[in-house]
Amino acid sequence: MVVNTIDIDALFNALGGEIDRDCIQQDSIQNEVVIEIPAEKLLEVSSVLLDQFDLYHLSTITAEERAGDPDYLAVQYNFWKGSGLTLLTRLEKDSPVLRSLTGMIPGADFYEREVAEMFGVQFTHRAETPPLLLPDDWDGDPPMLQKEEPK
Amino acid sequence: MDKMNIPIGPQHPLLKEPLRLNIEISGERVLGGILRLGYVHRGIEKLAQTRNYNQNVSLTERVCGICSHVHTTTFCRAVEALLGLELPERVHYIRALMCEMERIHSHLLWLGILAKHIGLEMVFMHTWHDRESILDVMEELSGGRVAHAVNQIGGVRFDLDEDHGPMVDSTVKKLKVDYEELLDVIEHDTTLKARTQGIAPLSAEDMKKYCVVGPVARASGVDVDMRRDDPMPPYDKLDFQVITHPDGDAWSRTYVRLQEIRQSLHLCKQIIDDIPEGPISVRAPRKVPAGEVVMRSEAPRGELFYYLRSDGSEYPARLKIRTPTLPALGILPEQLSEIHIADIPVVLAGIDLCIACADR
Amino acid sequence: MAESLFYLLIFPGISFQLVCGWFFEWFDRKLQARFQRRVGPRWFQPLADLLKLFSKEDLLPSGANEFAAAALPLVSLGAVLTAGVYVPIAGFSPASFEGDLIVIVFLLSVPTLAYYLAGIISAGIYSVLGGGRSLLQFFSYEVPLLVALSGPAVMAGSWSIREISSIQAEMGPFILFQPIGFILAVVGLIGKLKRSPLDIPKAKSEVVAGSLTEFGGVKLAIWNTVMNIQAVVGIFLLVNLYSSWSGIVAPVLAVPVFFLESVLMIFVLSAASAVFARLRIDQLAGLGWKVLVPLALLQLLVVILMGV
Repeated sequence: MVVNTIDIDALFNALGGEIDRDCIQQDSIQNEVVIEIPAEKLLEVSSVLLDQFDLYHLSTITAEERAGDPDYLAVQYNFWKGSGLTLLTRLEKDSPVLRSLTGMIPGADFYEREVAEMFGVQFTHRAETPPLLLPDDWDGDPPMLQKEEPK
Repeated sequence: MDKMNIPIGPQHPLLKEPLRLNIEISGERVLGGILRLGYVHRGIEKLAQTRNYNQNVSLTERVCGICSHVHTTTFCRAVEALLGLELPERVHYIRALMCEMERIHSHLLWLGILAKHIGLEMVFMHTWHDRESILDVMEELSGGRVAHAVNQIGGVRFDLDEDHGPMVDSTVKKLKVDYEELLDVIEHDTTLKARTQGIAPLSAEDMKKYCVVGPVARASGVDVDMRRDDPMPPYDKLDFQVITHPDGDAWSRTYVRLQEIRQSLHLCKQIIDDIPEGPISVRAPRKVPAGEVVMRSEAPRGELFYYLRSDGSEYPARLKIRTPTLPALGILPEQLSEIHIADIPVVLAGIDLCIACADR
Repeated sequence: MAESLFYLLIFPGISFQLVCGWFFEWFDRKLQARFQRRVGPRWFQPLADLLKLFSKEDLLPSGANEFAAAALPLVSLGAVLTAGVYVPIAGFSPASFEGDLIVIVFLLSVPTLAYYLAGIISAGIYSVLGGGRSLLQFFSYEVPLLVALSGPAVMAGSWSIREISSIQAEMGPFILFQPIGFILAVVGLIGKLKRSPLDIPKAKSEVVAGSLTEFGGVKLAIWNTVMNIQAVVGIFLLVNLYSSWSGIVAPVLAVPVFFLESVLMIFVLSAASAVFARLRIDQLAGLGWKVLVPLALLQLLVVILMGV
């Protein structure tokens, strides 16, 4: 079936047995097809999407804490080609490590740097991850992980 | 010749907003540049978590000064999607009208800045004079020249009177005439072409690799425009063209933006002619049911991305904004190698920087 | 003695040149404003700016050469004021000698050299860049300018400006015979004055303010005065060399005609500023050596052949 312009069946076939069929959701995020993948499979799945489906446009990388899942960070890779496709991974908060996609998609550089400085995620396979928005001498905790009460 | 390191910024006559660009030069040639952002970082995403949805409409408006309306529009649409609200048609038309006028004023502003940086002050003064007509219209409609406060969750905050339609009409007509003069200058003026043609050419491949969006990508031939590809109503009913140009140099970007002004003028006319009657808002509850939504729209500089997650309370659990200037900045260091110092303003202007957007 | 003092201090010396310089600045800014659909400054604006600069603090970065920073504008001022004394005003010149054209052109180049040195001694990155560019620009426009200015001298058979100017009463205004030379001289003047489109050394968006980035207060006021007077002397020079009507029209009309032509020249300079975008230094070098110099040599050849 085709959701907007993304052919789910072709996608599932291309990903082979790597991904379970029910990891592909359409209702969790409005306007997006979400594929939940383990963090280690990130590079493989992204390569398949890029090479076979020409899914080169990475809108952004979104990281967040979820209240119902306190020991994990959820990181989304929001792609777009005609309609939105999101790769969702969960990282353990104690050691959040992800493989960098900058070798494949140089445009991911800024997004990874922002996630790294704001949430403390470490990206492997890239030269260094300098801060993007925070000052060079920031030595506090990653800002988005600090708790703040609404006013 | 010796290599020198020149810091451009955070304050420099070239920059409207603070940015640090350390460029390495040898004589008059630029060898490379290192970019540093963050001077206008206000932590908007974190602030959004401690304010309720109505306050966040005001907050998202202040991400950027030039494209403020499209930020609030995208945010309101995201919240309304989570609430499952069905909005009256008139709301969409009013929002689209302000979006298009914002696009016109942003492109005219940008053209003036480019002209000023290459020494063509007369074009700068004339484009900003033309821009005043649009700002006057926006002030008539919304009460603000730059910060319009058009949107609220569930609709818009003002309606168009009977005399607003003819006013927009006459402004559009007048601008079309002024616009033709500008187009003539851009297409035929030899000194302007000498300064912008062939500068920092980028291919469509580069654009795709760096995920660049907006007029910068379209000037290299990448055919993408959120108004056509992921349309918000009423764009699915309106007629307009997506302008691309194959060359990918600074002149192409000028040309693409100028043609987009023409398309926006055409859209404004259609909106005013076709706008249906009806209410301008529906009631929206304070608490937004739990859910996640991604909303994309076409800001003057390209694809604007909003991700919103609600946990059922009055406060958003996560708001993620990705503005179109950010990927364009990613491709900036590549454009800075092997150009003259005198081309730096042209390159920076070609991207149409909005650092406040990029930093949030 | 009293006569010399009058010539030096009042007319056509310091006072006259200062007033002409202020008028030039005001008229130029007013014209630019009108081209840009603005209102423009009132007549006393240049004076007001001068007084404002006098009241500002005079700072220099550490590492800058204080003595040179003070001496360079003063030396330039002396050079242009001296040059002004030798340029005839409507046919009247208190002092002239054979060869004073060459001396005047040299004196008008002193501010350019001083501008370059000011950039070097200012201990700032943008100053050094601006200074270097001003020297590069100098090489591109000065040669065609010199060759073009030789045209009237060759045609008149004399290197004294007063001679060249008075001989046009018999031969007719030289602009009719050397239109290309005139245009080249105007381009050269635009380059010398560092006006748009040749304001490369002080391009605001690239080198902030060029050599004068670190100057302020009284020193900057003197630099601005030097620029104004340099413009005025340059305009008077061109009017004398190419279009001197002082012998042709009745004496009572000579003075108004002279000033009218000078005002027209300001108009030409302002229009050129408004219409063109700034050139890049390599584009200027290309233009200078590939177009201007050949044209200038051609013009000179034509002049020589005409005289034969």
